Parts: sequence; structure tokens; C-alpha cells
Amino acid sequence: MEPNRTALPFREFSHRISLIFMLTLAAALLLLGRAETYVFDRARQVVTDMAAPLLEIASRPVAATRRVIERTDEYAYVFDENERLRAENARLLAWKEEALKLQAKVARYEALLNVQVDPAINYASGRVVSDSGGPFVDTVLVNVGNEQGAKSGQAVIDTDGLVGRIVSTGPQASRVLLLTDLNSRIPVVIEPAHYKAVLAGDNTDWPKLEYLAAQSAVSAGDRVVTSGDGGLIPAGLPVGLVIQTSAGDLRVQTFSDRGRLDFVRVLQYEFPSKVKRQDPPEVLEGPPAGSEAEETGDATAPGDAQAAAVE
Amino acid sequence: MAKLEPYSPTPASRAGRIVMTIMPFAIGLVCVLFSFVPVGRIFGSPLTPAFPLMAVYYWAIVRPEMFPPLAVFTVGLLFDLLSGGEIGLWAFVYVVTYAVVVTQRMLVVNAPFSAFWIGFAFAAGFAGALAWVVVSIIHGVFVPPVSVMKHMAVTVAVFPIFAMLFGRIEARVLQGG
Repeated sequence: MEPNRTALPFREFSHRISLIFMLTLAAALLLLGRAETYVFDRARQVVTDMAAPLLEIASRPVAATRRVIERTDEYAYVFDENERLRAENARLLAWKEEALKLQAKVARYEALLNVQVDPAINYASGRVVSDSGGPFVDTVLVNVGNEQGAKSGQAVIDTDGLVGRIVSTGPQASRVLLLTDLNSRIPVVIEPAHYKAVLAGDNTDWPKLEYLAAQSAVSAGDRVVTSGDGGLIPAGLPVGLVIQTSAGDLRVQTFSDRGRLDFVRVLQYEFPSKVKRQDPPEVLEGPPAGSEAEETGDATAPGDAQAAAVE
Repeated sequence: MAKLEPYSPTPASRAGRIVMTIMPFAIGLVCVLFSFVPVGRIFGSPLTPAFPLMAVYYWAIVRPEMFPPLAVFTVGLLFDLLSGGEIGLWAFVYVVTYAVVVTQRMLVVNAPFSAFWIGFAFAAGFAGALAWVVVSIIHGVFVPPVSVMKHMAVTVAVFPIFAMLFGRIEARVLQGG
């Protein structure tokens, strides 16, 4: 009996000490996590890479079940849907004609003006394998890692529009910061008037529009696309529609539905930033009196020398 | 007179004991992984219940000695590492909630299931409020509390299913042990 009598209070005591120690450690971690980000980012990536295959296996039955439910829904409304699609198809055919005409016109103007067209964007497709996890974070894991060319900052889209951007990558998986996350900021343009703004997530379903010019006449229903500012995300990706809340704020209903994310594309966009630097010459000299040929030669020489020096 | 052999646990009972010791922690880890499986997408919703909180509460009430603070901390930290949010947020929230639940466990330990469930509703409310305060302080803004409220409401709603499941697993392992 003697050992039991002493063991119980001791166990209680050690339990209490361990609780205090863990509380202190967790609080310290919360503070340190803000300062020492590299170590935790590494740890996070290692854990994510280890968990990604497990999550991928676990997410398969979920995706299959969802597809079965969707298919059942489709069967239930197949006639109505067919009718709707016929009407839509007739409308889209008229639009297609219009689009083809405009495409030819734009191509002619581009050729006339010698416009630099954006290079074609490569992409890697993958599946969303994990959910956001927690009410304060809107991120998902996709099974496209840096082995498939994913890099931090790349845009991720699905069939509806922009989903978010990659914030960290491992060999097999990447983390995508969704548009609704508290830390998400995406430069956008509101069509048709081309007002620029920043789409800022705030942990609600509808991100805000920040830095919108005071006089801009944006109204509910306007289309929001990426502006391409900053060179991280290609311009013109569909983002969503402007909506007005009951409080009068302008927010954006995103085209992509984070409750239905499945297959996504990671856009491997490289901003054409390798522009030759052209500094003005340090001393500006007037053209020397002489022939016209010499004049042109003198005027271009310092510029070339500068460019060569920069390279 | 027959000579009595000194008593020593058989290998089977030893194995059972080991399983029983690590089982609550293993369930906690599985709960963490399960929170990231996009189950909500079956219904077209991004909401996922806080499965680790269910495990923390259940074991803190039923067998706190088998789910020590270190296990709670590890479960919370693993959740933080996988979630991509603030490091230490859920480790801190779960350890504090565990501490509160352990001190109040006598209120619900032998009470009917409804009391156990109401206790969980309070624990979930406390954990959600604490997490919301910490996140708001860290970001320096008033984070909209709607998402955490929804998250905790879903967690409380599905808790009975998981509590029953944990109870079954516990009974099975206890019998086996």
C-alpha cells in the first residue's frame, strides 16, 4: 500500500508540472513563430511532405463520393439541364462569331503596332489533397511540388478562375493561399472601366477591394480580373464579380468555389522582366557639327557603352 | 505443496498495455490528419470540424493519465505545422483548454452523456474564443469571428458520433488488454 500512497500525489504533481511546462512552451512558440520563420517553415514543409501522400489517399474516397452525389444530381435534372445547355449553346455560337471577328481584328492591330504579346504560359495540373484546417487559415495543399516546377508565388487556377497563389513548395506538394485568407493580397482590375485595386482576404467568404480610387464608379456585377501588377500573376485571369453587402461595402464573390476545389492548374508564369537597362549618359553632349551619319553614331555610342557596362 | 511461479505479465498483456498507453495519443494524431481530409467537400462546404479538440476533451475527461499534456501539445503542434497558420496557436489553445477541462472533469466524469456533451460545448466555445483573441492580437485586427463560430458549432454538432467511436475503441482495446 505504501508505494501507491506516495505514487498518486507524485503523479498528480508531475502532471501539473508538465502542464505548466507545456503551456509555457506553447506560449513561447507562439511568440517565436513570428520571429524565427525559417526554422518553422522548414519544419512545416517536412511535415507537409510527409503527410501529403496520406492525405492524397484519404482524399480519394471523398472525391469519389462527391462525384457520385454530383452525378446523381445531374441525372435528376438531366432534361432541364439539356434544355438550358441548348439555349446557352445557341447564344454562345453567336458570341463565337463575334469573338472570332474580334480576334482577327486584334491580331491585325497587334501586327500593325508591333505589340509584344505575352509568352504562352506553361502549367502543371494537380489535385487539391487537403482542406484548409482551422477557421483562421484558408490554405489547401495540392499534389504539385517543385519536382513538377511549382514555385512560391505562382498563380493557381481551376476551371472557374483564380484560386490563389502558392506560398510554399516541397518536392511533392505545395501550399496554396486562397483568395479568402487573411494574408492574401492580389492586384486586380475591375472591368469594364479598368479601375485598379487590391483584393484583400479577411477570413470571410467575400474578399474586400482595397486601394480603390475614391472617385471610381464601381458597381455590383462588375467583373474582376487580375491586373498582372508586380509580375507575379499573369494579367487577365478571371477572379470574380463585385457584390455590394448590406452594409454598403464593395466585396468580391470569387468565381472559384473553395468548397468544391478539386483539380487545379499551377501556372508557371515568368514575367518578362529581363529588360536591358538603359541609363542616360552621365554627361549629355550636344551633337557635334558634322555629317548626319556621324551625328547618329555619336548619339548612340554612349548609350551602347552604358548598356555594355551594365551587362 | 505445489510451487507457485512468480507472477509476471504475459507478452500479450504487455502488448495490450503498450497499445492502451499509446492509443489515445494515436487517436489524437489520426484526428489531426483527418481534419485536413476535405470531407466537407462532399457537401460542397469548406467547413471541417475540429477533430483534435474532440480527442483532447474526450481523453481529458475519461483518462487524463493516458493523454498527458505532452501529447496534447504534440497534437496541437502537428496541427499548426500542417495548417499553415500561426505556429503554436492550436498547441497553446489545446493545452489551455485541456488544463481547464482537467480541472473541471469531476463535474462530468460520471454524469450522463448530455452533460458530457454540454461540457464539450463549453470547452469548444472556450477554445474558439481563446483562438480568436490570440489571432486578433497577432494580426492586430478584429478578425471576423463568424468562421470560428461556424467551425465550433459543426464540431459540437458532430461530437456525439466521435465520442461514441472513441468509447468503442477504448472498450475494445481495454477488453483486448
